[in-house]
This record gives sequence, C-alpha cells and structure tokens, in this order.
Amino acid sequence: MMTNFQNVDEYGRREFIAQAAKSCLGVGLMPMAGSYIHDSVKALTPGARPAAARHVIYLNMTGAMSHLDTFAPQIDNPKLMHDVRAIPTSADGVVLSENLPLTAKHMHNASIIKTMVSSQGAHQQASYLMHTSYLQRGTIVHPTFGSWVAKLSGQINRTIPMNVKIGGGGGGAGFLEAKYGALPIGRPGQGLANSKMASYLDDTMFQNRIAAAEKLNVNFTAEYPQKQVRAYSDLYRDAIKLMKSEDLNAFDINKEPDSMKELYGETNFGQGCLLARRLIEHKVRYVEVTRGGWDTHDDNFNRVANNCVDIDKALSGLLLDLEMRGLLKETLVVLTSEFGRTPVPNGRDGRDHWPYCFSAFLAGGGIKGGVMYGDVDETGRSPIAGKPIKPEDLNATIAYALGLPLNDVQYSPSGRPFTIAHKGEPLFDILA
Amino acid sequence: MIRRGLQKIVTFVLLFFSLQAEEPFRVFKTPSGKSFEGKVVGYEGKTFILTNKSSQLFQVPFNALSTSDKAYLVEAVKANRIPKGRPDSTPSHTAEAQGVDFHSQIMPILQERCNDCHKAPYEDNGRTKKPKAGLRFDTYNWVMKGNDGGPVIEPGDTDASILFEVITLPSDDDMIMPPKGDPLTSEQIDLFRRWILEGATEKPSGKVASATVAKKESTPASAEESKDDQIHKAPPKKVVSFRPGSFFAHVVVPLGVSPDEALSSSQGSKPKPGEPIDFDRHVLPILENRCNDCHHAPFDRSGRLVNPKASLRFDTYAQVMKGNLDGPVIVANDLEKSRLYSVLNLPEDDDLFMPPKGGPVDAEQIDVIKRWIEEGANPSKNSVSATKGGIPAADEPVSFINHILPLFESRCMECHGEPYVKNGRTIKPRAGLQLNSHEWVMKGNLDGTIVTSGDHTDSALYQVIMLPDDDPEIMPPKGEPLTEEQKTMVKRWILEGASEQPAAEAADPNAPPKPKAKKELVVGSVEKKVSLLEMLSKKASLPSKTQLLAAEKSGALVTQLSERNSLVRAEFSSFASDVNDAALGAFGNIKNNISHLDVSRTKVSDVGLRAAGSMPNLTWLSARNTIVSDNGLKSLSSLQYLSYLNLSGTKVSDKGLQTLSTFKSLKEIYLWGSEVTDKGVESLRESLPSAKILF
Repeated sequence: MMTNFQNVDEYGRREFIAQAAKSCLGVGLMPMAGSYIHDSVKALTPGARPAAARHVIYLNMTGAMSHLDTFAPQIDNPKLMHDVRAIPTSADGVVLSENLPLTAKHMHNASIIKTMVSSQGAHQQASYLMHTSYLQRGTIVHPTFGSWVAKLSGQINRTIPMNVKIGGGGGGAGFLEAKYGALPIGRPGQGLANSKMASYLDDTMFQNRIAAAEKLNVNFTAEYPQKQVRAYSDLYRDAIKLMKSEDLNAFDINKEPDSMKELYGETNFGQGCLLARRLIEHKVRYVEVTRGGWDTHDDNFNRVANNCVDIDKALSGLLLDLEMRGLLKETLVVLTSEFGRTPVPNGRDGRDHWPYCFSAFLAGGGIKGGVMYGDVDETGRSPIAGKPIKPEDLNATIAYALGLPLNDVQYSPSGRPFTIAHKGEPLFDILA
Repeated sequence: MIRRGLQKIVTFVLLFFSLQAEEPFRVFKTPSGKSFEGKVVGYEGKTFILTNKSSQLFQVPFNALSTSDKAYLVEAVKANRIPKGRPDSTPSHTAEAQGVDFHSQIMPILQERCNDCHKAPYEDNGRTKKPKAGLRFDTYNWVMKGNDGGPVIEPGDTDASILFEVITLPSDDDMIMPPKGDPLTSEQIDLFRRWILEGATEKPSGKVASATVAKKESTPASAEESKDDQIHKAPPKKVVSFRPGSFFAHVVVPLGVSPDEALSSSQGSKPKPGEPIDFDRHVLPILENRCNDCHHAPFDRSGRLVNPKASLRFDTYAQVMKGNLDGPVIVANDLEKSRLYSVLNLPEDDDLFMPPKGGPVDAEQIDVIKRWIEEGANPSKNSVSATKGGIPAADEPVSFINHILPLFESRCMECHGEPYVKNGRTIKPRAGLQLNSHEWVMKGNLDGTIVTSGDHTDSALYQVIMLPDDDPEIMPPKGEPLTEEQKTMVKRWILEGASEQPAAEAADPNAPPKPKAKKELVVGSVEKKVSLLEMLSKKASLPSKTQLLAAEKSGALVTQLSERNSLVRAEFSSFASDVNDAALGAFGNIKNNISHLDVSRTKVSDVGLRAAGSMPNLTWLSARNTIVSDNGLKSLSSLQYLSYLNLSGTKVSDKGLQTLSTFKSLKEIYLWGSEVTDKGVESLRESLPSAKILF
C-alpha cells in the first residue's frame, strides 16, 4: 500500500486523500483544513447549496455616480440635496430621488445598500477594486468578478461565451484562463463584430484551413501542455462554434421588436441593457453594461438628471422585461459605481469624489425586495447604522446569491492564493 | 576578455586533455621590455611555469607578459601543447623555499582586489582618471613608490607599512581596504606580511619569514552557525545616551509609585546593599554600555555582514552564557574560569584587557558582575529574560518582545524586515509585509491583516507556518519549518490576544479559537427557503455520473442543484432550436431527479410535455417561446410540486388556464405573449389566489 502511495505523484496523492475524506467522512475540504472551519464557512464550500440566482447583469456607472441624487437621497438634510426631492417607491420605507420615477415602481424587487465604502478615491484604482476585490498592484493582474463567475460556475450555453462586457473595455481574466475573460462588445447595436464567416469561404475550404492550422499546432501543444497554450486552441474552437451557431442571434438586438427597443430607451445604455437581457435569455452567466458620464465635478444636478432619464428607463425596462419573461428570479441585477460623490456640493454646483460612503442597487435573483440597508449620518459623510460594505463584501454577496464557493482558492502563476471575493463577507440582510 | 577566453580554454583543455609535444625554448618579454629565455612546461590557473636552460623553474603570471607572448600562450594552450598543472619536479610551493615572489603571489592579489582604483591613469569620457590617493599598484616600482604622503610599503616592517595596516583593519572600519567586497583572506594577508618581512623585493629574496597564519579557519560548525545568525536588516540604531545628570537621563517615576521603587526596578540601577544581583536590571545595562559596541548581534552593513568580535554576543542572557568556541565566558560561582570577569581585571596594558576603548569598567560595576557570578550567574527572576529568544514555559504568557519578535528576527526578517538601502537600491520587505514591530505585524499588508487576535484559524500568519512542508506557500520558505514549540508559541500568542504586552494569563494552546461575534450570524434563512427542494432531494437517489452523461446525450445540460442534492436541473441552452420532443426521451432514467426543466426556445411541443408530466419531483418548468398549447398542459396535472410555470410566448389560451386552475401548487405563472385574455387570467386568479400571475 505504502509503495503504491509513493508511486503516485504528490498532487495525485493529496487529491486522493481529499477525495477519500469527502466520500467517507463527508467533509468538503482538505482534512488539514477541517480543524478550523466554522459552520458558517461550511455553508460556503463548493456545491453545498443550490444557487438562488444563475445570471448577473452588472450595470456599471463609471465616473462615479452621485449616490445622493439617485439611489440614496439624503432626506433629512435638504442643504445637501440642492433642489432634488425624494419620492416614495413601491416598497414601504424606501425612497429614491425624483430622478428615478420609473425605477421607483420596482423597488419591491430590489434592495439598496446605503453604506458602501471603498478605500480608493481615484477612478481607475477604485474600479479595479470593485471588479476584482483586490487592490491594484504592479506584480499581478487579478481576474475581474465576471471571470471569477465564469470560472467557478461554468458554462450553461456551450456555444457562446460566459462573460460579456458591453461598452467599455476591461473585464480581463487576469491570471485565470483567457476563456473566462469578458467578450467585449463596443456598441450594442452592432452586435458581435467580425463573427460572420467571410462570404468567399465555403464550408469545405474552411474546414481544410482549420485542419491545416491544427496540424501545425500539434507539436507545439504537445511540447508545451500549459493551460495558457490550451486556452488558445479553446479560443479557436469556441470561435468556430460561435460562428456557426444560431446562438449568434443572441447578439443581434435588431431581432427585437421596436416596442422592446422603445421600452429600454433608444440610447446606447438602454440598448445595452436590452442586449444584456437577450444574452441572459441565451444563458450567458455574466453581462456587464457600462454607462459613463458620471464624473460630475461641475453642474452635477443637471447632468445627473439627464443621465437618470437614460438609466431610469433602461433599468426599469430591464426589470419589467425580466419579470414578465419569468427571468427576474434567476437574474441578479446590480447597479453601482466605483465610489460616490461629495455630499456637500462644491463651488461649481458639482460634486467631487467620495469613496467613504455610496450606494449599490441590487434586484432580482437571490435578493430580498424592498430593503434599504444601513443608514448615513446627517451630513451624508459616513455610515452610522449597518456595517460598512466594502467592494469585496458586495462581490461576496453577489457570489453567495449565485451559489459560488467563496473559499475556493485559485492560485496565480506565482503560487499565491486568491478567492472570488477576497475576504469579503456576504450581506445576509439583503439576501433572500 | 582574454581572461574569460582563457577560462573557457582551460575548461576545454580540462575536458580534452592529452599528452603534448614539448614546447621549444623562446624569449618571453614583459611590457616593460624585460626579457627571459625559457620554455613553458605547464600552467596552473593564470600562472605559467617556465624553465630556463639550466632547468630552474620560474612562475610567471600571465598578465605580466607582453601582448604577443600572451597571444602565443593562448594559442599554445588552445592547441593543447602545454600540459595543465605543475611538472612533478616543481615543488608545489616554490615560494616557501625561496620566500614570497612578488610577481606570482603578490601581484595577482593586487590585480584582483586593488587595481580597480589603483592603476595607471586612463581616459574616460575625455577626462583623465587618476588613481585613487595617487597610488598605483600596477608594477613593482609603483607599488614601492607610494604616493605624495610617502611609501606605503616599508620593507621589513609591517607596522610601518600603511598598505599592510589598511588591509588588516577590522572589517567594519571605515578605512579598510579593499572598501568593496570581502576583506582579503587571512592567507592573502599572510602573504603580504611575509613579503614585507622578507624585504618586499621583486624577486624572492631567499629569506623566509615564518608562516604564522593561524590555521584557525573557522570549523564548519561555526561557519554554519554564523550563517544562521545572519540577519539582513538595518544596522542597529545607536542608543542615545544622555549626559549623566541630564534631565532626560533621569528615571521616569510613574504616578503612585514611590521613587525608590521606580529607581530600583529601572534598568541600570545600582543594586541596593544586600539585594541579589538581577541580570536584566544590573548586569545587562553594564554589558550594553561597555561591551555591545563590539559584542553585538550580527548585522549587515553595506553588503557586508558585521559579526561580533571574537564571536561573543552580550545582548541577551542566553548569548552571554553561550560564550564562544573557546568555551563559556561565564562559569557560575567560579570567578577564575569566568573570562568575562577576568579580562576586566587585567592590567590596563595587557593585550586582552577589556574593554579596549573608553577606559576600564568602574570598580563598582565590576563588583556587580563579580557578585552576579558568585550568586550563581542566574537569569533574572520574574523576568522573561530567562526565556528570551526561546520558548516560554507553558504557564508563562507569550511576550511579543521577548518571544515572538526574536523568532521573527531569526526566521522572517530576512525578507520581512525594515526597508533598507543596498547598492543604492531600496530593498522593500516581501509582499509588503514588515514584521519588525508589533504595529507592523498587526497592520498586515495589502491583502489585509495577518493576525486576528483570539482566532488563530483566521490568522494568515498562523496558517502559513502550519502548512505541510512541501507546500509552496509554507513560511519560512527557506530552511526548516518552525518547530512544533515555535508554532504552538505563535498560536498561543494569537489566542492570548496578540497584543504587544504579554497577556495576564497563559492560554491553553488547545483551546478553541474565539472568533469574532459577527462571524456567527453568517448564513441566514437560506435553509428554510430550500426546504421543499431538500425534502424532494431525499425522495430521489443521487444520480450517477453515467446517468447524467446519458441524459446529456440529448444535447441538454444536466447539473445537480448542489453537490449532495440528488435533484438536477435539465436545460437546453446550446442549439436550442434543434431540440425536439425526442430529446426529452433521454431523461427517462433520471426522471425522478429532475426538479427544474427548461425547454424554452426549443421545438418541444405538447407531446414533449407528456415526458415532463412523468417527472414526479418537477417544481420548475419553463416552456417559454415554444409551440406548447392548451392540450399539453393536461399532461402536467399529476405534478404535485410544480410551483413555477413559464408559458410566456406559447400558444396557451384561456382554455388552457382552466386546466391550470386545478394546479394548486403553482406559485408563479408567466403568460406574457401567450394567447390568454384578461378574462381568462381573472378567473385563474380567483382559483389560485396566492399565485403570482404575470401576462
């Protein structure tokens, strides 16, 4: 027996022990780790519970949305609010700013976290933190949250990518395999660029070319059997699958009736949300839609009101559409930005950067409806009630709703351990 | 260039060594024009062995020859004409017989270690670079000439030879030469000494000075030991010493403490008459004040490790008692064998008198040391000093300063120390983690804190030292893993609260961790929500891998709801439009397992729904955007757990809703885009009042 063990290589032996422990003792982790797992952590182990939500639509307000003039109006201090009023919503006790009248009708399906905090006050770094749960640094590129979701939850639709980003770049897989990175779509109306087979190329010719390419690659892949190399051939294979797939239609919002386009608003962001819904229908796991234009250092109140016309229509349209199609229960819609803006307007009627307190909107799958989490002091400067929710906590909450293992460790090439939401803790107050 | 080329050739020759034809006699020249007739009989390193016609052997350094001779020799070596090594008849150390030879023994050292700075003036960027201090060591004459300040070599007198003085300075002296790299080895220094004593001649003088180079090359054990002790950290900061009588030199007396008490417990206080000597309070301050300048912990200064003199460290009780290779310096109750004590009492002009600088130690202080030895040379009582740098007793609370920090110092700070400057570059601690003070340890790094007080399970610090020793993440990454005692000590320190001051009571290392309260409210009401699924899960047996794979033949994706849940979700997502009723037949084997079925966007029709109707545990069915119609719904009537039914975009009409009105388990019904009317939905709402109906 002992010699058998020694013949097996190190990893295989450990895996065997872990497997044996799993099947005989009912523990899900390495036996070594068993001594310090709390009950709470056990609930987070891989596959321990059914997922509440299966898809995420992440609406990213880049440039930092003014939380006061949108989802977290400061009702008790009108001085901070200029002329913006708060309006009641479909949920008791939840108010939104008057800039979001349509979204207000959906608040019974949504929760708002008022106590978001970030440690980063510059756009790029804060956005990196929101997307990866880790601080940006020179030595490593962390996977974005969408890539983590793709990696840990797997593909439902085998022909189209799991992770799509509409408008704006980024969304890379970091040190994970490239296939988990976001497929970028520049403009929703144009669908997936360069995805049609060229007209002069018939199928036999195409197959011949693919076969030739594979032949050329045989030696290389045999010599370098790393996952990064495999990722390349995976990429080709997926691309070919996608080119020939009818699922390609998922990317074509021109297949939608005009009434639908009207529902979401004929803006770039509205159409992006429409495309996101189409993709979710085709079982894409994670779609991020980006909307810029929030860096309102001057003329904040007019600019936010203008932006809100756009996002209010798109967000409410998205929530309504998902609800009618019976998809809202399994789709988690998140709307937030990298940080908030100063409670006290500056001299140019603008608001500056404020990472100490901002808000996040979550609706749909796995989320309790009509919850306003936490409270902010009178000056709007910092949370006074409820836990401060860090970006990693928000990501942990989303990951929990998706049933993903928060403690699944992925190793970077240098052997450092990383998890989907760093050390974030799910906010159970808003989870259904 | 040539040097490197030659080295290559040497290796080459080494590999393909064979017997050669003998070299002819020829005339060799030096760059200065001197000539010598001889033939090459061998070489060793960069020294060539020549013989003249009367068979006397000479050693000639390669670099002392003219360019053409060098080229010739390189050729000869390349062509394998010159045998490697000395001819057997050559005494392996001609120098020992004849005295030190400047060209073959001294010059190579000068070339290697001195000529970077002390060489002929040369042009650099259009500027003439002069040798440092006006000293040139490139020929014998220049070496002997010295500089404006006079010669640096005084033949026959090492004490008067400045060159000899600077190479023998202590390695931490500012004036030591060479200033870069390690000091010269003791053999090299001995060569210089002998050469000078023999008259500092160019050719061996024939006089032979006695070789006194101490053969005390440190034994392997001590070499290893000093390596272990090596700590790459900033040099210790000089303790500010205040002028006696200065305001700052006064002992701070806390409120409510009598001045006498404060004074007696302060460090460096004089023992009261009759009071036993306490090492920490009475002896250590004396050692720190008078001995630690030389007998300190090793530290790194500008790339060079500065070791304590005579390998003696007087910074902790353990080190004082350890002594050095010559034995202990303190023997309890025995003043004669306690060398630390005896060197203090030597006559001041004795070579071994200590301390060598700053005058003798006060008689009063010597008396303290004497009494301490006579009283048994004990460690301090009621002080952690006894276990400082070691492992505390089981009932002794772990002290950060005395136990944890010394451990970090010896095992962690090489990488996780204070940032320091080396070769003009700031070396930062690895992973941004600095472990040289309590504050830094608690601060952690960019990834968060590494210590959670009271909970070792949440402390990365504890986790990384507990990893199996073949784990790539284990800390320390070099050397042996920490010992069990050390691991337990760290664990105890965390359990005791991980504070800088020792806790009031020692913790039981086997006690369960005390996680923060907030951890416990994790996991809310999720369990209740899935209770129906849990219940159904028990009704079906876990599907086997084969069963799942067979079901996936249909093109469906079949996944378990969770690892130990026997229920599965079956869905057609890829190429949905190619899927028809036949595909559902593949689910026959797992029909008890399917709780979620998604046939949306497929060609599944009323016929296919019959298969769905035979899945007893089905709770969730989506037939969105299919041609399913009223007739198909009838086959679903036996599903007693069906709670979600999505019929949006189907052909279902009011007639079908009448069928649905008997499905009491339904909670959500989606009818948007189907053929139902307000009226039909109205009556359905009456029969299913608690269901959410969207159309």
